[in-house]
Amino acid sequence: MSKMREVVSTGNDLAAMAAVDAGCRFFGGYPITPSSEVMHTISDLLPKVGGAAIQMEDEIGGICAAIGASMSGVRSLTATSGPGISLKAENLGLAQMAEVPLVVVNVMRGGPSTGLPTRVSQGDVAQAKNPSHGDYKSITVCAGNLAECYTETVRAFNLADRFMQPVIVLLDETLGHMHGKAYLPTQDEVKAQIKPRRTFDGPPEEYKPYGVPQDEPAILNPMFKGYRYHFTGLHHDASGFPTEEIETCRKLIDRLFRKVDEHVDELESYEEFMMDDAEILMIAYGSVSLAAKEAILRLREEGIKVGLFRPITLWPSPEKRMFELGQKFEKILSVELNMGQYLEEIQRATGRKDIEKLVKVNGRPFSPQDIIDKVKEL
Amino acid sequence: MSRIVMRFTGVGGQGVLLAGEIFAAAKIKMGGYGIKTATYTSQVRGGPTVVDIQLDNKEIFYPYAIDGQIDFMLSVADKSYQLFKNGVREGGIIVIDPNLVYPTDEDRKKWKIIEIPIITIAKEEVGNVITQSVVALAIANTFMNAIPEQILIDTMLSKVPKKVHEANLKAYELGKKYALQALEEMKK
Repeated sequence: MSKMREVVSTGNDLAAMAAVDAGCRFFGGYPITPSSEVMHTISDLLPKVGGAAIQMEDEIGGICAAIGASMSGVRSLTATSGPGISLKAENLGLAQMAEVPLVVVNVMRGGPSTGLPTRVSQGDVAQAKNPSHGDYKSITVCAGNLAECYTETVRAFNLADRFMQPVIVLLDETLGHMHGKAYLPTQDEVKAQIKPRRTFDGPPEEYKPYGVPQDEPAILNPMFKGYRYHFTGLHHDASGFPTEEIETCRKLIDRLFRKVDEHVDELESYEEFMMDDAEILMIAYGSVSLAAKEAILRLREEGIKVGLFRPITLWPSPEKRMFELGQKFEKILSVELNMGQYLEEIQRATGRKDIEKLVKVNGRPFSPQDIIDKVKEL
Repeated sequence: MSRIVMRFTGVGGQGVLLAGEIFAAAKIKMGGYGIKTATYTSQVRGGPTVVDIQLDNKEIFYPYAIDGQIDFMLSVADKSYQLFKNGVREGGIIVIDPNLVYPTDEDRKKWKIIEIPIITIAKEEVGNVITQSVVALAIANTFMNAIPEQILIDTMLSKVPKKVHEANLKAYELGKKYALQALEEMKK
């Protein structure tokens, strides 16, 4: 049994602490409600461990600085909310294409556009799958409680270096700002989990960062260490130089997919709550799962047996498990703070069109009663 | 102990957030669970703000107070009072600053409304308006007996700068004094 420590904090502060504990030493960003405390806190923490945080001129500058820092081998973070992701989209695409590891914390608020800055939403779930144009595979994890604001941020850093691409950590306003108790792994345990990025140690003239097997990510050596490569958002060959050669172009995008698709077992993560004897299945993620759990406990007092399936890695989705659950449960209810963005994925994964939904888009959280009422209607 | 649910309301900038954090931290220090959430508008100052505090010995999943189940509310701004009063259960306690909050006669039948001039106490008797959140903290704890006093005071002191310890201790004592007086009058 691992030693746990008790920390009293907010989701945003926990995400910042997690980044530093996971070895992040650079933050580039721009403040935006409801994520600003991530930047505020990490700006305090990083200089104490020899790192740096910089407030750039805007959201775009923030992610560009973080990408640059990451290219020199440093674990880097940026944090924002939905409108900031919209602005960062182009450079998220660059990091996908050039395979630069990066963690992006998105504390979701109401949208589209500037929406409801101080209110809760899960409106960026579909955006997280494809924030930028073009074909690539998103890796997106979603914290469902205070402890996970920490542990999922840690996991995101490890996944970013393993898969060499941006990893989005979704929090939402409720989680980001709620203040309470979290049991966390110790800093030593987190440190022990860190697997440094792969590097190429052969002769520099033989270094081909993108010349890797078809299911593997690029190997980007840190800049300024004697290993040169070309860095571009254009389709590129093994050395990174732009090319339009037909097969090279096809293989590049194919590899961006296969490096994720063929290793989904390393990414899959979900929680099952009171599922053993459940007769009705609820699917919810993020802070909505807190209301869902409270609702389930109260419904069970009345003899209504509901279980919760909570995806933690949202993209790629736990599609195999969702398919199995779709076969097992007759009644399935999807609950989310958007118009049904993940419902489409649940429908796809289960192959079912008869999934009930409970949605809300007025910036207010679901109360347990909202969910209880809906379950009773089923 | 069953769950204690409290709500503090004011307007942005008044600093009602701190009291909630202190309650949650103190309960956790005792080995229990405490959660504070704050809901506010995008207006930096002047927008209605509500802080929900839940304290329990058992794990709390849902972080917000559920309307109709709130035992105690404290309000220092009328617009927030009007907006959030209906979350308080019938017969629950509402402490208001009478200079800033104007309950109706119906309100006074529905809830136990207690008038304590919180802002004036902080401004004039303590001499620092910022200590209002500690005045509020003391009032809430005196009414609710949520946390043993010394644990709450220690937690409070750990969260404010040393140079204002004395002012905040004074604020706590005054809050407690006014709350005890109000309790006496309630008994009459």
